[in-house]
Amino acid sequence: MMICRTEVSKDRKARIKQITNHPYFGFFIITFLMLIVQLLRVAGVPVSNTLIRAFGITMIYIIIALGFSILLGYAGLASLGTAGFVGIGTYILGYFTKNLEASIFIVILVSILGAIVIGLIVGFISLRIEGMYLAIITLGLSEILNEVFKNAVSITNGTNGLGLDSQLIIFKNLIFVNHNTIFIFTAIIMFIMMILTLNLIKSPTGRALLAMRNSTSAAQAMGVSILKYRLMAFIVSTVYAMLGGVIYMSYISFSIPTTWSLAFSLNILAAVIVGGSQSIYGIVLGTFMIFGLNLGVFQQFDFFKENPAISVMFNGLLIILVIMFYPGGLIRLVTTSYYKLKKALAKLKMKWRNYRYGSDN
Amino acid sequence: MVPIINQIYAKFLEKRINSAKTKIEFYDNYLPIKLQTLEDRYNRKVEIIKLKHKQKLLSLEIPAGVNSEYLKENYETELANLKDKFYWKERIIKASAQRKGEDGKEQIQELEKEKSIKANDIKNKYYPKPTSEAIKNYETNQPILNETLETKINKLQTSYQTKVDRFTNKSNKAVKRYQVININLSAKLHEITKDKIAKYSLEENVVLSLKSLSMHFGGLKAVDDLSFDVKEGEIFGLIGPNGAGKTTVFNCITRFYKPTLGDIYFKNIYGDVVYLNDKLVHNIIKEGIVRTFQNVEMVWELNVIDNLLVAAHTIYRSGFFGHLFNSRLLRQEEKVMRRKAMKILGDLGISSYQYAYPYGLPYGILKKIELARTLMANPKLIILDEPAAGLNDLETADLAKVIKKIRNEYNATIFLVEHDMGLVMEICDTVCAISFGKKLAIGSPKEIQNSKIVQEAYLGGE
Repeated sequence: MMICRTEVSKDRKARIKQITNHPYFGFFIITFLMLIVQLLRVAGVPVSNTLIRAFGITMIYIIIALGFSILLGYAGLASLGTAGFVGIGTYILGYFTKNLEASIFIVILVSILGAIVIGLIVGFISLRIEGMYLAIITLGLSEILNEVFKNAVSITNGTNGLGLDSQLIIFKNLIFVNHNTIFIFTAIIMFIMMILTLNLIKSPTGRALLAMRNSTSAAQAMGVSILKYRLMAFIVSTVYAMLGGVIYMSYISFSIPTTWSLAFSLNILAAVIVGGSQSIYGIVLGTFMIFGLNLGVFQQFDFFKENPAISVMFNGLLIILVIMFYPGGLIRLVTTSYYKLKKALAKLKMKWRNYRYGSDN
Repeated sequence: MVPIINQIYAKFLEKRINSAKTKIEFYDNYLPIKLQTLEDRYNRKVEIIKLKHKQKLLSLEIPAGVNSEYLKENYETELANLKDKFYWKERIIKASAQRKGEDGKEQIQELEKEKSIKANDIKNKYYPKPTSEAIKNYETNQPILNETLETKINKLQTSYQTKVDRFTNKSNKAVKRYQVININLSAKLHEITKDKIAKYSLEENVVLSLKSLSMHFGGLKAVDDLSFDVKEGEIFGLIGPNGAGKTTVFNCITRFYKPTLGDIYFKNIYGDVVYLNDKLVHNIIKEGIVRTFQNVEMVWELNVIDNLLVAAHTIYRSGFFGHLFNSRLLRQEEKVMRRKAMKILGDLGISSYQYAYPYGLPYGILKKIELARTLMANPKLIILDEPAAGLNDLETADLAKVIKKIRNEYNATIFLVEHDMGLVMEICDTVCAISFGKKLAIGSPKEIQNSKIVQEAYLGGE
């Protein structure tokens, strides 16, 4: 009876381990954690509006930061144009829904096409210019876009901001979707984007990008076309940013040019660097540290509400500390401390064992 | 007009033929992997079914008093478990007694008693007195159980067999289809190109040919009217004093520099002669030329196996969307490539490093990893830029062995630049000496050693 039982349980354990060790399992857990607030509200627990909104916005920023991490962490290209691209996404949704009454699917298609065009332009620039100068050029592009948002009043409603009355159109008929459903959709899209990002960075494409980041000449000698992969990295990151913009507009229903300034791009850059530019969990952590902590935790206290500068100072301090002591990002700290903890626990267990059973000799 | 169309069509056909060849190679490599996984899964399933069957039989056997092997095995493992359990209990008692300063003999005696009682219990559990009813029950049910087991296993086996057959058939069909396509396309290609014999031609056993190659940087003539042939399957060494233009020659061959004058011809993996001056840097590897770098260029964020897979980049057939959605083709290809990478690592004797990260590995190992990486791309010509730079004597001797092994086992021609004369004279079949971009002498290592011009270039005139 012993043998069979142990064998069968071994099989069962292996099957459970297969699920928990699956690379997508962690993303599922993160999505579930994000959804908890919304689920609590559905269940009837009074959760404040600002808290839910904080989680929603953090998820949108995670999507944008994922795209940015492919660019920075894998292709090794620095860009400060994120804000402009996200802004275009919001205005595409706003204009197409309000003025043209187009379906959300058409909006997504248009934003992806727009992202490809802009990605191509910036990608071609990146072939000639690298490093800090590329960042400055993208910054310039973003500022140009910002001015366009301010002055193209017929599309963007200028500096007054474009409101949407929380209306989305799915298949011709006007359908009003409330924020709760959009929150859940955002979580699902974040889950899908995480999976797609992981697939991409673990695939030959991701390896080619890393090879290119390490040394362009070595990458070329191994058959990696610099042109193709630089363009691809920019297009992918722009698609992520525009998609983030579309989701932002459908969730917040309001877009104003001042949001899409340099500060936004820098915050995304900070989130990716603080968390760890090559790890998806790191990006989730970094985005939460930069955006989620401020929106979700600090804003709940009156002290921080009265002095909003303190959270900005906290972000600055965090960036300084992380860059000085953990250049690989906070996720490096988490993993190393996890292994240290594991080691310490094993030591403690050994001590306890020696105490209980007496030492071996 | 017609010749241009014909040319384009011929190029298109060539591409199709080459892709068909890679597809055939893929199916050939993937079949054993798939069959192995199918077999493993089948064996595990059968094992579990048999165990469950034995378990059922056991519940019949125990009351009937049938002394089977499995029963004995179970009895012994349970006894062993009991012994183990009581061993630890004894140690707890001993340790606590030691802490108190007692000897705890009484407690141990009690424990022994308890142990013997439990052992007796187990014996009674496994060997009770047989009753006639149970014996009858056993006799009637045992054949039924056996039969069900047989049917289950048969069912599994047939399903396994059908799976194997289906897959082998599919693979064979695909291979056959691509072979037929290959033959048809080749015939078409021949028809188009029969009027004019191949565009470029090389002598029979020549792989690489430089024809009066010149590379000028402004007024500096780094390479000046250099021409030589590299024969198939040889180890060709290019030597020269510092600044002689060796690395420039390399960079011209691998298209990092565009030569000012001169032609480079190469016989690629498909046996066609190509004009390298027309090719782009990242397409060189597709023709079968792979190079290493003087100071190793690893991807430091990836482990050794993934580093090898970077070089197989051009062999993958799955595209961007396949990568994005982790398509089936990509997963299959990944398995094939990983297997290939492991085989290469095993051949070079560094398979113990397969999951290590290159950061912090010894320099000799990194050089070997770079060599292994070149082999991932099915190379015809491997270009080594100072392979022995930074290695000690032992590592250099090891490297010489590895280079020879690669030449012999992978049918690759090797072309190297080296400063270590010991290594060059030991492994090279032909050596070419250059100085200030001009060819001094070419010949076997002995001839070069005895050549007066070379000695002058290295050591100065009299």
